[in-house]
Amino acid sequence: MDKLTVALPKGRLLNEALALFTRAGYPTHYTNSRRLLLDDETGSLRFMLVKPVDVPTYVEYGAAVLGVAGEDVLRESARDVYEPLGLGIGKCRLVLAGPPSAKGRNLRLEPNVRVATKYPRLARQYFQEQGISAEIIPLSGSIELATTVGLADLVVDLVQTGRTLKENNLIELATIMESQAMLLVNRASHKLYFEAIREVINRLAQALAR
Amino acid sequence: MNGSSLRRQLPHGLTDLFFEQAAAKVALERILEHIFESWGYRRIILPTFEYYDSLSTGASTDLQEEMYRFFDREGKTLALRPDMTVPTARVVGTKLYDQPLPLRFFYIGNVFRYEEPQAGRRREFTQAGIELLGSGTPEADAEVLSVAIAALKALGIHRFRTNLGQVAFLKAILKEANLSNGELSQLEQAIGHKNDTEVDHTLKKLRLTEEISHAVRAIPHLCGGIEVLEEAKKLSQNPAALQALDHLAQVYALLEAEGVAEHVIIDLGEVRSMAYYTGITFHAYVEGLGFHVCRGGRYDGLVGNFGRDMPAVGFALGVERAMLITKPQIRLAPDIIMKACRHPACHALAAKARSLGLSVEIEVLGRQGEELIAYGQAKGATRILACDENSPTNYLLTDARGSRWLSRQQLEEEMASWTS
Repeated sequence: MDKLTVALPKGRLLNEALALFTRAGYPTHYTNSRRLLLDDETGSLRFMLVKPVDVPTYVEYGAAVLGVAGEDVLRESARDVYEPLGLGIGKCRLVLAGPPSAKGRNLRLEPNVRVATKYPRLARQYFQEQGISAEIIPLSGSIELATTVGLADLVVDLVQTGRTLKENNLIELATIMESQAMLLVNRASHKLYFEAIREVINRLAQALAR
Repeated sequence: MNGSSLRRQLPHGLTDLFFEQAAAKVALERILEHIFESWGYRRIILPTFEYYDSLSTGASTDLQEEMYRFFDREGKTLALRPDMTVPTARVVGTKLYDQPLPLRFFYIGNVFRYEEPQAGRRREFTQAGIELLGSGTPEADAEVLSVAIAALKALGIHRFRTNLGQVAFLKAILKEANLSNGELSQLEQAIGHKNDTEVDHTLKKLRLTEEISHAVRAIPHLCGGIEVLEEAKKLSQNPAALQALDHLAQVYALLEAEGVAEHVIIDLGEVRSMAYYTGITFHAYVEGLGFHVCRGGRYDGLVGNFGRDMPAVGFALGVERAMLITKPQIRLAPDIIMKACRHPACHALAAKARSLGLSVEIEVLGRQGEELIAYGQAKGATRILACDENSPTNYLLTDARGSRWLSRQQLEEEMASWTS
């Protein structure tokens, strides 16, 4: 095995992730092309660009040795991987939100709260812990719309600045989890290529400390 | 969904094996059986289903949830076995407690788990493994790990590494904290992710002392060669914790003496299934597969649930997972396809060939001539024999060199060289 493979999430986190790897000594020239594979200039790493929600799957199966994924995506996927380093990028929060009228409602007293979300597992877990009977409606996008059109009473969604919520006339009711991008490591690879992986982790950690 | 639409389907997570796959699986199982026997392990054959109460003994809640359960006619709950270790412990605890120790058993059998199929492991899959019962020594631990390594090598797998953990170290450190099983599993999960933030968070939630917290924070990073044990020793003055490290050092030294330490990497942060294991744990990882192919460890408390307590250590290898990595050479084609008339001489010739170890397929669809040769070639048979019906002492042999007539005597002489 010569190059370690790294699954990176396409989309808003990609450039930040590549910049971090560059600072750690693995520079790349990514020109927003349609290429899905990309080698760093030192020849140590091969980046594969995949859909963010798929990163934990690639890493769990060992199709990628390393990966970068948000904790939100990682917990929702419940994939069994190591996550030795928080990368300090992609910071956001998973929140429960709803129309202003939802403020002050005691959800525990309601027989059936309908909640739209891209994170059905995390949402279900949250409501169970809170003792709230919720009906989870899984959606894959435009979550904020769900309350406006009467599909759901509340939403569980990611918030970075809070602007999208505000524009859709939603307010935050509770924070479910804080999230940042994590470095993921496949369990088998961690043992098989221990020395090489430790080197990457150390260099990333040093870049973060600078 | 009505019954007829299911008639042609299999439940999710099951499969059929035939042709090369079936033969390859049996070939792997034979190799494993041979290795286990060569280390003095003897086969144990266990029932496919038992009382749920037996099978769930000592099992994690996850495994309990994954069991297939059903009722007998008296309303007692039965379950399909989800592993082979617990039934083996039951047999030893209830029946074999007064036998000379240690006991060495191996098993090759199917187990059943209601879980999502992953990397060759389906809802019914085959485990091949060993249990060494009645010894708590480092020698016993090292032996079981050595057998696992020998088994992988015998399967033709050479690029692999085995992590070696010691849950007794963390358990000793946590003992004075008196955590509940739920709390323990939260900590186990955080350490198992090697996620410092999550570990910190959990430590705060559990309000552990600074000394314990300091040790727990270090544990996920105690991974590497034998030198990590020196670092680990600095973390605790707890005699049981230090003894656990000493035990691990002895196991490692024995593996070095065995010449297999190059395949072993110590990872004290490997603490999964802490409720079940009591000492060393290991997983073997093979290049090209993201999941462990075998897993084992020491489980000293288990046998005692069924009768006389005794220490025990073992491992299980997933045969279907091993099949993803190693492909034994399988030849399904018969050595000879033979068109035989009803003359006894023809059957005697076939019997003679079988006695030499050749596989002989008799044509039963009445094909002859070109048609038979075409079938034989499609099957990949090396030789096709057709008797002369008017004179059953003459045979037309077709092989790679073409076709020629031979007498029965000439054939029998030539046959001896076909086995190689």
